[in-house]
Amino acid sequence: MEQSRRYAKSHEWARREDDGTVTVGVSAYAVEALTDLVFMQLPEVGAMVEAGESFGEIESVKAVSDLYAPVSGEVVAVNAELPGRLETLGEDPYGSGWIIRIQPADAGQLETLLDQAAYDALVGGDAH
Amino acid sequence: MTRQQWAMPSVKLSESDYCELTVWRDPPASGPLNMAADEALARVAEQSDKPLMRLYSWHPHTISLGGFQAFSETEGLAELVGWPIVRRPSGGGAIVHGSDLTYCVALPAMHPWARRPEDLYAAVHGALVEELCHRGVAAAMVDAELAARVPDDSFLCFNRRAFGDVVIAAAVAEAVAGGCKVLGSAQRRLAGVVLQHGSLLLRRHPLMARTGSHAGLSELANVEGGDPSEVVEGWLRRLATRFGGPLTEMANVSWLADDPDILRQATRYSSDDWLRRR
Repeated sequence: MEQSRRYAKSHEWARREDDGTVTVGVSAYAVEALTDLVFMQLPEVGAMVEAGESFGEIESVKAVSDLYAPVSGEVVAVNAELPGRLETLGEDPYGSGWIIRIQPADAGQLETLLDQAAYDALVGGDAH
Repeated sequence: MTRQQWAMPSVKLSESDYCELTVWRDPPASGPLNMAADEALARVAEQSDKPLMRLYSWHPHTISLGGFQAFSETEGLAELVGWPIVRRPSGGGAIVHGSDLTYCVALPAMHPWARRPEDLYAAVHGALVEELCHRGVAAAMVDAELAARVPDDSFLCFNRRAFGDVVIAAAVAEAVAGGCKVLGSAQRRLAGVVLQHGSLLLRRHPLMARTGSHAGLSELANVEGGDPSEVVEGWLRRLATRFGGPLTEMANVSWLADDPDILRQATRYSSDDWLRRR
């Protein structure tokens, strides 16, 4: 059971790092549901993102999905290798499949997201 | 070849999920206005927590691009020169609109069929397959094996064969790759709602002699007088049944009235920033 991750209802996960930044990715449940990913658009480093607002897009064979920022702040890092290796999202969604890192404007915002148990309940117990 | 027939969504609805399906039929409109109206439909579906559906056509005839398609791809096809072009928010390939019936279904994200893309495809496409088979037409949904065999990078949606597309077996030259495709769909998955676009080919487009000259229901389904409207009515009834509630038709009400939000969004959809974003 992963305790340090928090989740948005829109299926992004967020984890606070030691340096205070928040790493963001997409849950295994969401990646598995999308299947056959073909394209991804990410923000630039330095972009400002708002919690609940779209910061990027991901396309599977027949669907375009928005990626939503779980917290507000500045994008301080982007996993630039990811669009060329989308399979990483499915293989290691909570590790090398990370998407962006945000310097949060409000460190407490992370606590307003779902914890693991609440997210498991949202997706019917198969979040892992 | 194996085919998945009369497919149902993988999730069976419980009685608490049953709901009516509300349908609007709008008059022909431009690409930007249609896209803006669909976006408004999605917002209302999210707020009302009910599935909503809009059926429409296009005036003038228009090419719609999938959300991630490169605009430059349109420049390689001589037959498309001079056509109005709009970019959809949904994915998939380009569609030549003019001889099709386009639909938009907006399904709130908490509905069980919104969780996985294929469930809403199965609900909508399976209802059409069911109706066509009931009429003796050899229709089916494309299965995973066929979808994997046909390249999915063709510019035109109706040249692709994605999992769940509706095809009709027909003894015509283009009846390759599982038959002639008559219904293809694509989604935009937002935080609170899934917007699914689809194009049902009613007849062959007269101006597309080569590229995009695909047969439609009138040519393939042997419909009386070449009019596929009864097929459409049967499709909607079956789709409503799948949602577990009545089919509610919003007669004489249009999403294309002078709503300032829709007009503002239509301006965005007609902008070069949106059209040439890729």
